[in-house]
Amino acid sequence: MLKLLIVIPAYNEAESITRVVDDLIQNYPQYDYVVVNDGSRDKTAAICRAKGYHLIDLPVNLGLAGAFQTGLRYAAENGYDCAMQLDADGQHLPQYIAPMLETLEDGADIVIGSRFVTVLKPRTLRMLGSYLISWAIRLTTGRAICDPTSGMRMFNRRLLEEFALNPNYGPEPDTISYLIKNGAVVREVQVKMAERTAGQSYLNFARSVQYMVKMGLSILLIQWFRKRDTVTPYLERSL
Amino acid sequence: MDTMIPLVLRVLLILGSLGTLIFILKRVRHAKMQIEDTIFWIFFSALLLFISIFPGVLYWASNLLGFISPINLVYLLIIFVLLMHQFSLTERVSQMDVKLRTLAQRVALNQEKLDSSRPDPAPEKEEPSRHNG
Repeated sequence: MLKLLIVIPAYNEAESITRVVDDLIQNYPQYDYVVVNDGSRDKTAAICRAKGYHLIDLPVNLGLAGAFQTGLRYAAENGYDCAMQLDADGQHLPQYIAPMLETLEDGADIVIGSRFVTVLKPRTLRMLGSYLISWAIRLTTGRAICDPTSGMRMFNRRLLEEFALNPNYGPEPDTISYLIKNGAVVREVQVKMAERTAGQSYLNFARSVQYMVKMGLSILLIQWFRKRDTVTPYLERSL
Repeated sequence: MDTMIPLVLRVLLILGSLGTLIFILKRVRHAKMQIEDTIFWIFFSALLLFISIFPGVLYWASNLLGFISPINLVYLLIIFVLLMHQFSLTERVSQMDVKLRTLAQRVALNQEKLDSSRPDPAPEKEEPSRHNG
């Protein structure tokens, strides 16, 4: 069986972190996990220490991309075969990890836990961004990605090393699109997601617009000019 | 045609904006810059390109606002955009300063923990010559 690391980026998630991690420890002890505290201003780190969770505590706030990358560097340095992102707010349900792992073992480079493979994507304003990004990816790669904004993504060893070492590899749809164009095999597995029970969504209107502009430019324009840095394997670099 | 932006300047503007765009995309290609940071420059060079190709819009606007010469509006616009960008850069440098300080302090405090948890400091080596007599 593949050795999997579950990376849980946490920023001000004191209210929900225990529920998510306790569930993992009790019901899914076969998977390793690590909480990456992204310089939270609440008690997230203190709670993790008190409970004895496996914790990487960043001394400053790096943002989601930086926090997730920290987890992937840990995975790369400690010999994991694959790694995935699991949100600390409880949206991602660990019961879907097993089918995602199976798909990865079938030869996928990236597996997305997708809400809309067999379920129809609702035509709401909230999903407008998702529709636009799906369309942009389809236009540039010819591939249909039903749920590009899902944060529940699993990467194999080669990809996790690439993510761990490079800038401009945020866990976002533009990276997925760029990697598809470069021949990565991306598959989607149908999952359900829970509504967030605590905390606030990071995205307000202004941030959503900013996000869409960045994703749009990055997917439609910038990625045509990016050069893929084929890397020396992580462990060989630091020898 | 004598009130138009001089042909040489227009050509320069077009070349300059194209050059900027190519330069930026080249840097991204070699992973020198983060994508977030390129967005401003892509918009900026697009603005330059737009002005140089459609100066008519600028004539209309400068007439409306009462500029003596449309070129003044071009300069004002560019200076303003760059000022705003400079401001946001200052903001970022400031935040980076704070982060760097926090990081250095964290490293130093951790090192102190390591040092003070070491059981016995190694006894200083005495110079043999002094105790020989």
